[in-house]
Amino acid sequence: MRQWVALSVRLAVVLAVVGVVVGCGGGGGSVLTLDRIGKEDAPNSMTLQLNASYTHQSSTPSWADGFERLFTKFAKDHPDWKLELEIIPDDQTTQEQARLLEEARVGRAPDCANVDSFVVAQFIEQGALQPIDQYFTEEEIDGLFPFVSDIVVGDDGKMYAYWFATDGRILYRRTDLVPEAPRTWDELIEAANAAEEKDPKVDGYLFNGGRWEGTTFDNLAHFWSQGGELVDEQGKPIFGEEPHRTYMLNEMNFLKESVDSGASPQRVATIKDYAEFEAAAQAQQVAMFQGGDFQYPTLKETLPPEEFKKWEVSLLPTRSAGDTPSSGSGGWTIGSFSDDPKKVEMCMEFTKDVFIGGMNEVTGQLPTNPKYFDTINRFDEPIYDDFRVMLEHGKARPGVPVYPTMSEEIQVAIGTVLTEEATPEEALDRAYKASLAAYEEQKK
Amino acid sequence: MTKKAFAPRQLIGENRPTLWMAPLLAVVTLFYLYPAFEVLRFSITDASLLEPNYDYTLNTFKNVLSDPVLYKVLRITAIFVAASVVLQLTLGLLIAVAVNRARRRRLPGMVFMRSIILSAWVMPGVVIGIVWAIILNEASYGLANLVLAPVGLGGKAWLSDPNLALMSIIIANVWRGTAFSMILQYAGLQSIPDELYDAAEVDGASTLQSFWYITIPQLRPILMINIILITIQTLNSFDMVLALTGGGPGQATEVLALHTYNVIFREYSLAEGAVLAVIMLLISLVLTLGYRRLLRSEGTV
Repeated sequence: MRQWVALSVRLAVVLAVVGVVVGCGGGGGSVLTLDRIGKEDAPNSMTLQLNASYTHQSSTPSWADGFERLFTKFAKDHPDWKLELEIIPDDQTTQEQARLLEEARVGRAPDCANVDSFVVAQFIEQGALQPIDQYFTEEEIDGLFPFVSDIVVGDDGKMYAYWFATDGRILYRRTDLVPEAPRTWDELIEAANAAEEKDPKVDGYLFNGGRWEGTTFDNLAHFWSQGGELVDEQGKPIFGEEPHRTYMLNEMNFLKESVDSGASPQRVATIKDYAEFEAAAQAQQVAMFQGGDFQYPTLKETLPPEEFKKWEVSLLPTRSAGDTPSSGSGGWTIGSFSDDPKKVEMCMEFTKDVFIGGMNEVTGQLPTNPKYFDTINRFDEPIYDDFRVMLEHGKARPGVPVYPTMSEEIQVAIGTVLTEEATPEEALDRAYKASLAAYEEQKK
Repeated sequence: MTKKAFAPRQLIGENRPTLWMAPLLAVVTLFYLYPAFEVLRFSITDASLLEPNYDYTLNTFKNVLSDPVLYKVLRITAIFVAASVVLQLTLGLLIAVAVNRARRRRLPGMVFMRSIILSAWVMPGVVIGIVWAIILNEASYGLANLVLAPVGLGGKAWLSDPNLALMSIIIANVWRGTAFSMILQYAGLQSIPDELYDAAEVDGASTLQSFWYITIPQLRPILMINIILITIQTLNSFDMVLALTGGGPGQATEVLALHTYNVIFREYSLAEGAVLAVIMLLISLVLTLGYRRLLRSEGTV
């Protein structure tokens, strides 16, 4: 009898181990493995490239669980398909976009892939993406925030990618130090100085000023809110020509003034990570910062409740009280590179089932269609009304090939102005000259 | 004419290593020579990651060489490489000598100490950049300023002052590379016969004299290899700088490797990136040949 018990236990252990190995390692019976959604023996297959964050391998446990649930449901609802996963680590997404473009050029891109909204226009211009508007109703397309359709709809009026998650820039402030939201740049600097007087430990106002995309993008809101445009309709840089030159100089002078007046510390010239603002908030050493909506959940989670209560958000201040506020908006899209209409259709099925609404619920990243603010429980909190208003003022970066060069040059210009290596005029003229040269080179 | 019989031994014999070399040659050709050739080829085009077609032209060279930013970047790179090499070499030698003396005196804990020193070298550059960004953070909770504040040296603009920022990336790079330098020199020190030091001691030579007249001459070949390796390593390093300063503020810490990365992956200019890679290759070659010549003229190689 004891032998039977021992044998049964051993058998159970072996079966359990086999079960785990098959489940994790890609056995034919499992509908979700590390590199596949759907059954191994499904008759149709499609390659799918996703950022690690947007998969069941996300480093955020709640996201991983959420995507596992969405992927499993999708696989069960589409038993005839298997999606071969190519997962891009989050720290490689910049290089990956360049590689994806290269793959698309030689016809080796995945059938369906995440594309950064920042570069999607270049993919559209290259003819790499397939039109997808036939898979969506007119209402679904027209309902998108205007800045979204400006980017994903090509010159031919067709939509080429679905932008499923977005964000925006907003002013966070500690209401015990800054009770009223500043509406203009002057009010912001004044409020920051007043906050520093109230509590000498705090920095009045922090913003991205280091060498990275966030510095250009976050601060472009100050340029856009005056009516500035970076490029003309042909994609030629015009930010060095009047009246845009004046708007850009105003932006640079405002950033310089914030440091010169003591409202911001000189270290803003080194800030190249939103986490810096969160760290300062946790250390109770900042009164206001220009951040993103995506920082709200982190602040809520990491600040003690009584501290968190002090924080509120408002639209970014403008040069004059009458100007319309602006907010830079980015995010991720999904598109299809396949010539096979069946795969394009399946890519969009996947988009609808997993990414539209579902991923927003899982991640808390903002939807691109305002109607989802009303239908997704996660966005019930009143602050999401502010974020929705922020997105109504949203503006995407121009999807032109010369944008990355312009961004680099503007980052350098802001850095040299903040550290007084150059005057705003010198820095701007150099940035504009280099951007124009890059544009001319690309045009050849 | 008599026909020679096929004799495989002649191909793989001691004096005919063709077959033995073939796999190595294949690997070198496929993974080193071919990519290097492609870089050279792209450098004489106007290729971009955004445009499938490209033409062959020397204009890209002209554009890159006439860009004043290149010379600013080269100046920063020269300071970064020179300071890093001198400091890594000196500190590595000092630590190696100390560890070697401790070994000769059979002091305990030397393996542990070597392991600690080596841990800096095995860390990925990005991690080192992040660690130093935390240390040098200019907020009042930044580690360096926190530690230096009691002695009146706090509040330094480690990363926002252009000159200090360059010094900061040199410090971080020296911290990273000294271990490698130490290990090479420690290996060299171990190959110096103890009898030489014993004889010097009998002759009444001081520690400094032993170091100058025995250690340095005996170490010279290793020093040359070390200098070449750390020069190339420093010239190519961009990951640590990217994580620590991103090249900023402005362009104050934009070294050549990081500039090349930015041009290719952020501005999508494949041809300009290839030209910069060729410039880096030429600088490495010139420096290597220069070092070899210098040491050969002293009759050591």
